[in-house]
Amino acid sequence: MALKKYYNITPEGTRDLLFEECGTQKKVEGALSQLFAGRGFTEVVTPTVEFLDVFQQKSSYIAPEKLYKTTDGKGRLIVLRPDSTIPIARLVSTRLKGFPLPIRLYYSQPVFSVNQSLSGRSDEVVQMGIEIIGSASKRADLEVISTAVEALSACDTSDFRLEIGHIGIFNTLIARFGIPEDAAEEIRRLIEIKNYPALNDLLDNMDCGEGAGMLKMLPRLFGGEEVFSQAEGIFKDETITGILRYLRGIYTALAELGLREKITVDLGIVNRNDYYTGIVFRGYVEGFGETALSGGRYDSLYADFGQDLPATGFGVNVDAIAKALRGREASGMAPDVLVHGEPGFEMKALLLCKELGAQGLMVENSVFDTLEQARAYGQTRGIPRLIQVSDTREEIAMKGAGRK
Amino acid sequence: MTKPIRIALTKGRLEKDTVALFEKLGFDCTQLHNKGRKLILQVPDANLEVVLAKAADVITYVEHGVCDLGVVGKDTIMEHGGSFFEITDLGFGRCRFALCGPEGRDFYGGYAVKTIASKYPGVTRRFFAGKGMDIQIVKIEGSVELAPLLGLSDAIVDIVETGSTLRENGLEVYEDVAPISARVIVNTASIKLRKQEIEGLIARIEAVL
Repeated sequence: MALKKYYNITPEGTRDLLFEECGTQKKVEGALSQLFAGRGFTEVVTPTVEFLDVFQQKSSYIAPEKLYKTTDGKGRLIVLRPDSTIPIARLVSTRLKGFPLPIRLYYSQPVFSVNQSLSGRSDEVVQMGIEIIGSASKRADLEVISTAVEALSACDTSDFRLEIGHIGIFNTLIARFGIPEDAAEEIRRLIEIKNYPALNDLLDNMDCGEGAGMLKMLPRLFGGEEVFSQAEGIFKDETITGILRYLRGIYTALAELGLREKITVDLGIVNRNDYYTGIVFRGYVEGFGETALSGGRYDSLYADFGQDLPATGFGVNVDAIAKALRGREASGMAPDVLVHGEPGFEMKALLLCKELGAQGLMVENSVFDTLEQARAYGQTRGIPRLIQVSDTREEIAMKGAGRK
Repeated sequence: MTKPIRIALTKGRLEKDTVALFEKLGFDCTQLHNKGRKLILQVPDANLEVVLAKAADVITYVEHGVCDLGVVGKDTIMEHGGSFFEITDLGFGRCRFALCGPEGRDFYGGYAVKTIASKYPGVTRRFFAGKGMDIQIVKIEGSVELAPLLGLSDAIVDIVETGSTLRENGLEVYEDVAPISARVIVNTASIKLRKQEIEGLIARIEAVL
């Protein structure tokens, strides 16, 4: 017989959620569902496993070593979904062909990715998000971004920021100064990690004229509204000034909603493995050291599925928000009242439970044989009230009641 | 007073150099000098909280956002990688990664797969992958120079400062791999949530470098 070495632990990168942890998580999910549904998005669920091919088409957006892979009964490669946007693109391209546009969907489901061992990151994370498919308009971008801001504020974290940027600035500079692909990738990487010293060294040793100065500035261009005037002083290219005008328009509109201090600009957002083609944005919350929300416009993803549909959307890492909120919730795991029915009065006790429940109390019906056992249990659990039901209802004094 | 900015320093020489830098800026470094066994120290006038940690842990703390900033060598960054912003080269702690081996040998000659000993398997793998060369890596924890002397490896990839240990043991540098110096790294969320404070501090540091 094989040794059962792993029978009492969970795989690395996964965990159980108990009591208040679970409560906080579900509360965030509830708040976001309500927000998304209230803004006219409809929920969809996609399968936990998908064929590998869904994620590995003309462009592979997700690194293969990040995917949890296995095979189906016929030996075909399947993966645990690493993302919801791509499966939704598959779903819309097949099931919703000809559906009136734009299509507004939301999702709430776990995504899986293989993280480096011992890095303390979760391989399974609940992600919630929205997609607007079939609209290329600025209004769609604004709709998605304002929903993102509302999502972060609905989560009730102590502070948050949403930053906006545009992938087109970097792409335009690379094309205009004829920078070869491998050098462009190295520049992109250094801008992404804001490695100013290495970026300066690299660009000083390249022959790309005034492009060097512009690319050097890109990762430094982040902050509030002043970024736009700085950027306008640096970039004279028509495409880029057009992009800046567009971004400023979005920024101003959000500022009008009274969100000025929550919105920042970062022109140095240049992710790889992204399907984003236009405006991009990210959310950060106090208490979580990584990106908690990310989104943007992705107009070419649907081409992989044979459709010509512009789209925009975002996803929130619900685990991140729950982590940021953890410790702020009261424990709340013990019920308010324990009801114990004496033999013959079990149904009467149940009726009382229902009655108290209707008053909004959390009521537990005792499953013990004797009142003494019920009382002992109530005391260890820290339940403040015990009611004995027989001919009468009697409040039984609890030792150390309310010590919770 | 707002929440202090928390900075993780690599214990040892980089810590001393950073404290010297703080003193140049006029910060009150009393606690940093009389730290005893304490691991978290205050620089009250600069609203800084200093954490002392091993190099690789500095990266871990900054990546997870429990520290906003970190001072760590480029050697550790190259070996461990991770997601953070690497914004300033402090210029101290200078040395280099180099490929070294017994004097007078033609390392690149022959077709046999070479064995390389190193404390930095990641750096070694990437260096040779860049050359399209298959090699075998043996991870060594202590004095790597021993490995070629004992015949375990053909060469080593290690940090070289003056090169005197190499010379004393009949080894020489075959090729430089990368220059190293101390860097300031920043958590990706902190720089967005506390931009002004962090940029202000970095600007003051850069002004005295």
